[in-house]
Amino acid sequence: MKHTIACIIKIGFLAMAIWWVSACSNDHTLSNLDATVFVRHKGADMPAYIKGNASEKVFLITLHGGPGGAGLGFQGNAFDRIEDTYGVVYFDQRGSGMSQGSYSEDDLTIDLMAEDVLALVKVIKRMYGNDSQFFLLGHSWGGALGPATILKDQSEFLGWINVAGSHSPKDLYFEYIRNFERVAAAQIELENSIPFWESVYDELDKVDANAVTLDDFNRLNSLAFDAEDYLKDDDFINDVGNGGIEVSDYNLLTFLWNLLKIQSILDDDIIGRLSFTEQLSEITLPSLILWGRYDMVVPEFYAQEAFDNLGSSEKRLVFFERSGHAPMFTEPNPFAEEVIQFMNQNK
Amino acid sequence: MKPQPQLLLFFLLQFTIFGYGQNQTANPQPYEHFWDRTELKVGFVGTGFWSNGLSIGAEYLWKENEKAKTRKGKGRTNTHQFLFNGNFGFATNFSSKTDTGAYTNFGLTWRRTNKKGKQFHVELNPLGYYRSFLPETYEVNGDQVDKVFLAGRGYYAPSLSVGIGKRRKGKVRSGSYFNISYSPRFNYNAGTLPTFSLQYGFRFNFQNKRP
Repeated sequence: MKHTIACIIKIGFLAMAIWWVSACSNDHTLSNLDATVFVRHKGADMPAYIKGNASEKVFLITLHGGPGGAGLGFQGNAFDRIEDTYGVVYFDQRGSGMSQGSYSEDDLTIDLMAEDVLALVKVIKRMYGNDSQFFLLGHSWGGALGPATILKDQSEFLGWINVAGSHSPKDLYFEYIRNFERVAAAQIELENSIPFWESVYDELDKVDANAVTLDDFNRLNSLAFDAEDYLKDDDFINDVGNGGIEVSDYNLLTFLWNLLKIQSILDDDIIGRLSFTEQLSEITLPSLILWGRYDMVVPEFYAQEAFDNLGSSEKRLVFFERSGHAPMFTEPNPFAEEVIQFMNQNK
Repeated sequence: MKPQPQLLLFFLLQFTIFGYGQNQTANPQPYEHFWDRTELKVGFVGTGFWSNGLSIGAEYLWKENEKAKTRKGKGRTNTHQFLFNGNFGFATNFSSKTDTGAYTNFGLTWRRTNKKGKQFHVELNPLGYYRSFLPETYEVNGDQVDKVFLAGRGYYAPSLSVGIGKRRKGKVRSGSYFNISYSPRFNYNAGTLPTFSLQYGFRFNFQNKRP
């Protein structure tokens, strides 16, 4: 019997050793990166998925939406093309995706999350050399975390790419109301999905038009995603191509728990409060602003506001006419071309 | 939320004491040796989608009684057992490399077995520990960046499993089990992460080889 037990233990350890080797293997070939590394910073362990062609040591660091989104959620045709030319770093922010750690709710601040991004930069320099160069791209909530990071230290970056970024969640609620009224009127006039757009007016009647509450904000935010679905149905927005999170990439339960947890902590600090509009003038990096014309989640008003307020001498605003909140999926080729061209010009 | 192992231990004690406040017969089977009372178990553990791995463990029969009852005019005898239980497991997500970890937990299992050998059991493991294993990890302190050896984090991770099984009396492969397990991880990020997993495997009693 002892022999049998010893055999079982040996098989168990062998299996674990195989898993361990499998779980730890990374490919650091600069021209074809495929590595998952963790950044340990101030109580958090945050995964960075480093992919693509970094033979020039130029990296595009991406900041996902949410808060509580997933770094790999950017993956798809557009980023596949970008990876062909540059290294791309998909980053699960603190308390998001598969990030783990141990810290108190009080410790979880936007300021600290910005420091995490700068810590990521240091880690990549440590891995691939101090001559590594970086561009920063933020989508949606990442459009707030991006300015928060750049305002701490813009010397680390060659350029800022704002994709439907919410640089001012403070005012977003009221812009929702204005934008819904504008788009609903236009769509009803075009006789598109009239029952839905009329119901939008009913929803607007239910929310407080003078003060922001989290419940009302969430109601309009959810309505914005519904509205984009109707705009797709009525052929204003392209169908989403392949892309986004793959089921195997994230433990769904962990991802959802992280999402709900971080939003429950940060929403009070963000919704109706956070704004970088006044500080955008301090950002002097070359900047590219990419927006879907039919973005209902962060309306196009913010594209123009970002463009007008950025202190960059070199800045460009591009609207994608067949897109909503995620132009990287709905118009992947022109999206990739704009990003690659911007990086080519500013590296 | 703070971990409260005292509360779990209290419930475990209640469970043990009141679980025996029933009509019972004397221990029906004589067990001479430690290994007569001990079964080893090995099986799959994981979610099936995101993390999959191997679990090994052992169960030591602490108490056993037979409970007779009449149902639809027929007499039935169920065996109720309390077993000390220990597990060690390892699971990983092969795709993302971000969900790898090992765990160990210890506690008590209550199991009911009917005369056909079908089993139902509840496994409460208040003493539990989960250790994540991270791939290449770098720690940043100010401007200093250091590679971390064997990076990971430890979490207090008790567990509660409910499952079914089948006993194979007198066989070396003495049974099988299928559990649904809940194991919270304290303190995970800024809270307590609930995790669920499936466990499927076999129990072995090598004493059954003896004539």
